[in-house]
Amino acid sequence: MFTRGNRLEADIDALRAAFLNREFDEATFTIEGNSFAEYARTCGELDARFTDPTDPNFQAPPTFVSTLVGGLALPPDFPKLSGVTMDAGKGVEWKAPIRDGATLTGKSHLHDIFEKTGRSGRMVFLVRRMELYDENGTHVANADTRTVIREPSS
Amino acid sequence: MSAPVATIDDVEFGVELPTFSPDTSIDNIKRFGQHVGWGGPRFTDHEAARKEGFPGALVPGVMSQGFLGAMIHRWAPKAEIVVIDTVFRAPVLADTPHSIAGVVTDVDEEAGTVEIDITIANAARETRVFGTATVRLPIE
Repeated sequence: MFTRGNRLEADIDALRAAFLNREFDEATFTIEGNSFAEYARTCGELDARFTDPTDPNFQAPPTFVSTLVGGLALPPDFPKLSGVTMDAGKGVEWKAPIRDGATLTGKSHLHDIFEKTGRSGRMVFLVRRMELYDENGTHVANADTRTVIREPSS
Repeated sequence: MSAPVATIDDVEFGVELPTFSPDTSIDNIKRFGQHVGWGGPRFTDHEAARKEGFPGALVPGVMSQGFLGAMIHRWAPKAEIVVIDTVFRAPVLADTPHSIAGVVTDVDEEAGTVEIDITIANAARETRVFGTATVRLPIE
């Protein structure tokens, strides 16, 4: 007979086996310099390369890609996990500048699924990674979104 | 205030970055939402946010992450943020003062990179957002 902990671990293993690194969404984004310049200003950036469209090195701040949202948050066949869902964090891996007028393709997959146990109970974390490529196929950034599902107490 | 960092040689292990007070006003969040998205009522209207069970309107997490990036660039204008990872520990409430701090936890002079621990805290010094960044600086 399994304990609750073992059963959940098996569930996580099954989810990892079924869904990790399987692309489930592709979206296209047109990057407008005015938008990322305003993003930069409202966030407190001072450097002209982020705020001034006339700067010769004008580019999006690295964290701007976190604002890009694809069509699907999870694979369509991903099971519904009961509990309270929250945005647990964002990560960016910057690889190359993103310029005004760029067309980016974002390809999303689940990069990690894991669990933690805190004072308030078990939590399941889903890490969705969007890989972003420019029109030349250059991989310009990865944008990770961590979602936590806090399981209801039994 | 010390001069901005220009190269890796200007960085010492353990140094604290100048603190930065981000603009968490509803007006600024509305401006952010207008141009970037993430402008829903929970971010722009205290009453609407309370109806959703929050203590007040929230600063979007993606904006908090932007504040952290801005703090690093204010400290080192030529810095390239290679990796930034942020954990949303608790809500950052709009229209309330917050401060952003950073401390250098590693310096790789050969690679020209530094590791920085970053936090956003409220006026009660409670950490709301924390994370790490890897930053590349000019070697010469």
